[in-house]
Amino acid sequence: MVTARRASGYQTTAYICLMSWFAVLAMHSPAWAHASEQTFVLLLPTSVYNSVGLGIVVLTVFMLVVLPRQISGTLFVSCGLSPWQLDERLRTAVSCGSLILLLYLLFVGITGKRDPLTNMLPVFIWTVWWIVIFALHGLAGNFWSWINPWTGPYLVISKTFGLRPLLPLSDRVSSWPALPAYIAFAIFILADIAPDDPDRLAGFVAGYCLYTFVAMILFGGERWLASGECFTLLFRYVSLLAPLQIRAGSRRLGLPGWALSKHPPLTVSQAAFVLCALASSSFDGLNETFWWLTTIGVNPLEFPGRSAIFAQTVLGIFAAVLLLTVVFTLCVMLTVRFAGNVSDSPTVQLTFNHLALSLLPIAFGYHLAHFFPTFLVNIQYFAVALSDPLATGADYFGLGSHFVTTGFFNTLGSVRLIWLAQCAFIVFGHVLAVLVCHDILQQLFASTRRALLAHVPLAILMILYTSFSLWLLAAPRGV
Amino acid sequence: MKKDSTKLLSGVSRRLALKSIGALGGAAAFSSIPGFTGMVHGQTDEPFRLGFQVHRTGIGAAYGRWYERTTNAAVARINSQGGIDGRPIEIIAEDDGTDPKRGAEVVEKFATQHNCDAAFGTLFSHVVIGSAPRAGELKLPYLVVSEGHHVASGILNRYTLQPCITDVKSQVQAMAPYVHDNLGKKVTMIYPDFAFGHDHRDYFSEAFARRGGTILEQIAIPPAETAFTRYFPKIPRDTEVLYHVMVGPAVLTFVKELGEFFGGSGPALFGFIDSLEAVDINSPGLEFLDGSYFWEGMPRYQQQGMLAYDAEYRDAVGVDANGASVSDARDVSTYAHMFGCWETLHFIRDIVSRAQGSSNMKQAMIEAAESVTDITESIEHPQGNKLFNGKTHQVFGHQYITRVNGGRLDAVHTTSIEDTFYPDEVDYTQQEF
Repeated sequence: MVTARRASGYQTTAYICLMSWFAVLAMHSPAWAHASEQTFVLLLPTSVYNSVGLGIVVLTVFMLVVLPRQISGTLFVSCGLSPWQLDERLRTAVSCGSLILLLYLLFVGITGKRDPLTNMLPVFIWTVWWIVIFALHGLAGNFWSWINPWTGPYLVISKTFGLRPLLPLSDRVSSWPALPAYIAFAIFILADIAPDDPDRLAGFVAGYCLYTFVAMILFGGERWLASGECFTLLFRYVSLLAPLQIRAGSRRLGLPGWALSKHPPLTVSQAAFVLCALASSSFDGLNETFWWLTTIGVNPLEFPGRSAIFAQTVLGIFAAVLLLTVVFTLCVMLTVRFAGNVSDSPTVQLTFNHLALSLLPIAFGYHLAHFFPTFLVNIQYFAVALSDPLATGADYFGLGSHFVTTGFFNTLGSVRLIWLAQCAFIVFGHVLAVLVCHDILQQLFASTRRALLAHVPLAILMILYTSFSLWLLAAPRGV
Repeated sequence: MKKDSTKLLSGVSRRLALKSIGALGGAAAFSSIPGFTGMVHGQTDEPFRLGFQVHRTGIGAAYGRWYERTTNAAVARINSQGGIDGRPIEIIAEDDGTDPKRGAEVVEKFATQHNCDAAFGTLFSHVVIGSAPRAGELKLPYLVVSEGHHVASGILNRYTLQPCITDVKSQVQAMAPYVHDNLGKKVTMIYPDFAFGHDHRDYFSEAFARRGGTILEQIAIPPAETAFTRYFPKIPRDTEVLYHVMVGPAVLTFVKELGEFFGGSGPALFGFIDSLEAVDINSPGLEFLDGSYFWEGMPRYQQQGMLAYDAEYRDAVGVDANGASVSDARDVSTYAHMFGCWETLHFIRDIVSRAQGSSNMKQAMIEAAESVTDITESIEHPQGNKLFNGKTHQVFGHQYITRVNGGRLDAVHTTSIEDTFYPDEVDYTQQEF
């Protein structure tokens, strides 16, 4: 049976190749790429908007140069609030509740409608989890530690059976296992042929959850989550942007990003993870541009589908990670050199590990900007799915069959508003990154002059990155 | 209905009518849709499982949304009328990601996992071309709504049909008579420099030359181009008609720059609505298009005294008189194309009804489809009368030319079905099942 199916699969592939060749020779679709919101974006004075955005980031750098350290150094002070002790049993219960929700989603994913915009699993995972929950972490703090589906069940099982880690992890492992896991996730979301397919997604989600749970049992729950669970790391770092931080019962409030600037240096693996997150996030956008498509030899008006460029996309992800790592490392080396070689200078590695934190606001701002249009459409599909939670054809909210609209992409005024909101997310992220970077440099270099000199390479990098991110937003896209 | 059929056939070309007769093996095989009810054999309550290959993600998603909406409306209507001889239609929608490899996977899922009786709904040609071979191997009737010339060109197989939307070759060549007789004899073509643009270049040039017109210049724009002003000086001064078919995200930029270049005093403009499908014609930058002409598969704006069933169809799919969603006036539909889903579903109902009870249902469906000749304008086929060619598995029908007039598109011409004919390039009925 397997052999027969394989044979037919090869036959199909041969057919596709043959027919594609005929297609090139003979005819093509009458409507390859119809106009969309991008058509209106290209009518907007995006170069003017981008210049303003870039100007704000440059101005932030300038302000940091002229402001006395006594003032700039107080940007990220935080004030303590009354302690707030939460019951750990509640945390366990919430996590167990998440597992039940996940099982329901997997059930719907496997048994529900096949349409990825009607089935609750893909709508929840890609819209609620990857866009809304991600964004809320940057605003409200780390509640992934509460809502993840592992910690609660793990605690229950480990207490019931007295589980101890079977294979304790060495400290040298650090957070390296999270890196390939995150790259695999990036490949799935960017290069896979059908990440939205409910069946396929259910398989991946179930597989990853099971892998994580088994790893927790083998290596210890908290230990594995800190080492190998890439979303625990990601959400923890993103949550450092939130104004309110709650740790060990204490609550502190400050400007967004204050906790980033006060965070101890990361390990090398954690810093590499942050770079990986930013690079793959930026590549998710670059890979849709005319520039990228023409670079890999694809006609941007004739996008052949993800399957035709799988290898190029995977290579692109790795290239983006590598490029950003090299450029950031060079900048850090220049930073240390610019600051002058004195006895108390931090090492390149320490500077690298510490400054990597300052890249998180860029990744956060870009994530919000990139997914904002998708959110506007897909949150409507989520409402529809919620109105029919068991896929029985119910409509408890009375939304009707004409509820979902994309009309806001069809007028210049609304597209301008959406685009400016995206632009604001990016500029906000970069301004915050510049401020955090400056604060960290002041901690690394005692002298104000040295801290300012050290800031030069990174300020240039961040200004260039702002320019790149805003260009990505305005660039014509073929996907 | 038989009377209607005869009446319709008397109006079409003798050549095609004879070819169709030949394909059927005799006049007795003629059928009309709607009109044939077929024999009802061995009725069952089992739903008719129909795989809907929909572009939910990828570059076709905007079309997919409207194809899905039209499909749901058509299925609701058919099921409310008792389905197919008592069998309700059950839609199994699978996203093909607008990807040919995924398209083939989806077709395989329809046949092997979902146990579908047929598949339908694909728009983008590369997905059709990637999926049709698998449908043929699995002997699954595959009815596409694509407009591509792939079906009639003969590169696909007996299980693939395009029964309710005309192909691009028909559409383009049918424009030549009107352009020649009403807009001008000297045409300059401006098109994206890849296969889609080349199709327009070749089909229109040939048809226009046959009509006695002259193509002065063919200006190919590189696909990645987003600024166009530098190409406009290549337009010869004595151009009477500018034929444009730009697509992609820079299409509004193209129109805006064209308007700025000519300043309202240029040649007549003729284009395909594909460039502006789902875009409000009153968008800023499009003012220059006032007075220009477009091909439309079905007029986006409701026309007075035309298409008797258009209003009822709009009501069913939730589209207002301006072609936008009834729930959001800014949400402009893909009106020129999506009727194909509505009509194809009704076509499927009729051929399944005809094939019901056969020991080989899927083969009988294809044979029933191949026996169809004329399709009569009705609520099931609101776009207009059509003629189906059983040999080439491709339908032929009226095309509409509309003129931008004060912020709406007013129909100025309906082509004859004969204008869309071209010689057969394949006879699928000669292929084994």
